[in-house]
Amino acid sequence: MSDVDFRTGSAPVPGPPNATLADILERVLDKGIVIAGDIKIDLLDIELLTIRLRLFVASVDTAKKAGIDWWETDPALSSRAARNALQDENRELRDRLASLEEGTEQTEETSRT
Amino acid sequence: MTQRASGPADRATYVFAVARTLDPAVVADLDGMTAGEPVRLLPLGSLVGVVQSVPAHDFTDDAWQQRLSDPQDLERCARSHNEVVSASAAHGPAVPLPLATLYLSDARARQALEAEADRFHAVLKRIAHHAEWGVKVYSPPASPPAGAHRPAAAADRGRPAPGAGLAYLERKRGLQLRREQHHEQGLRIAEEVDAALAKLATAARRLRPHSHRPSDTQGSQVLNATYLVAEQRSHEFAELTRALRGRTGASIEISGPWVPYSFVSEV
Repeated sequence: MSDVDFRTGSAPVPGPPNATLADILERVLDKGIVIAGDIKIDLLDIELLTIRLRLFVASVDTAKKAGIDWWETDPALSSRAARNALQDENRELRDRLASLEEGTEQTEETSRT
Repeated sequence: MTQRASGPADRATYVFAVARTLDPAVVADLDGMTAGEPVRLLPLGSLVGVVQSVPAHDFTDDAWQQRLSDPQDLERCARSHNEVVSASAAHGPAVPLPLATLYLSDARARQALEAEADRFHAVLKRIAHHAEWGVKVYSPPASPPAGAHRPAAAADRGRPAPGAGLAYLERKRGLQLRREQHHEQGLRIAEEVDAALAKLATAARRLRPHSHRPSDTQGSQVLNATYLVAEQRSHEFAELTRALRGRTGASIEISGPWVPYSFVSEV
């Protein structure tokens, strides 16, 4: 390696400092070279746990840090998402109204001449 | 097996990573899995293991299952493991072991790891001067309904007040159609991004997209991939990611450099 940090006292730690928990978990859980250990840990169970964790998040903050935020886009769970849906519908209606008004104006103009 | 006496009952050896050589100082100050025990090096012939002695009763399968069902503990364990692995790779390649690789003693760990020396050397060779970069692509927000794409809605406009039920159904159908088109567009972008990045990378892997649900349409994750990238190309890789962001309009997140966790298992 060419760039060596010589301040060995405080260990230089590469790897993304702002890594989300989800990013870390999907690497440390079932990646890495697998060598049989003496104490068998069922990683499949752990993976199931993390999936369950994603579904039944105890703390919204932990989940957000983990990059889990689907509820923010789910209208059933988020007022923000519901608002977005309303905004979309509003915009759609306004467009329709505008195009209808355009139509009436044109007929008015033709009837005047 | 001289360590047997003080072995199984009270102490277990937790292994974080294996490297060719390592300065013990880079890991000495880290907490590892349990506070109060140093993270240290275990000589393995031509290799060294980065290990820690841990209380055996705290690291049984049951204890793990319990510990890891607590989100905070799970996070602490995952981050500690990653911290030690990352530090081990600070000055040269290190092969990460998965979370919770444990042996009953140093002697047992040495025996098991030395038996795999060839595999470790092959992996170390492969990942030397490489880092892993994670890339997540989120489909761009759905475009507002354009008349051209919605023949049903366009026809509506001409007609004065159709039946409310019919209008509702057509609106729903239009929404569904838009969702599908949007999803397909997202998948196309995912393929484009993956193909471009894979060309630059030494190897590529697809990971499971996060929290993907069929009902997600806005900003859903369409690609969760990871790439093994040579050190001297990492700048180019970041540049390409930026360019793809501009070209596709998708939001693209890049994370790294990671120790190449995802590229050590198949040698």
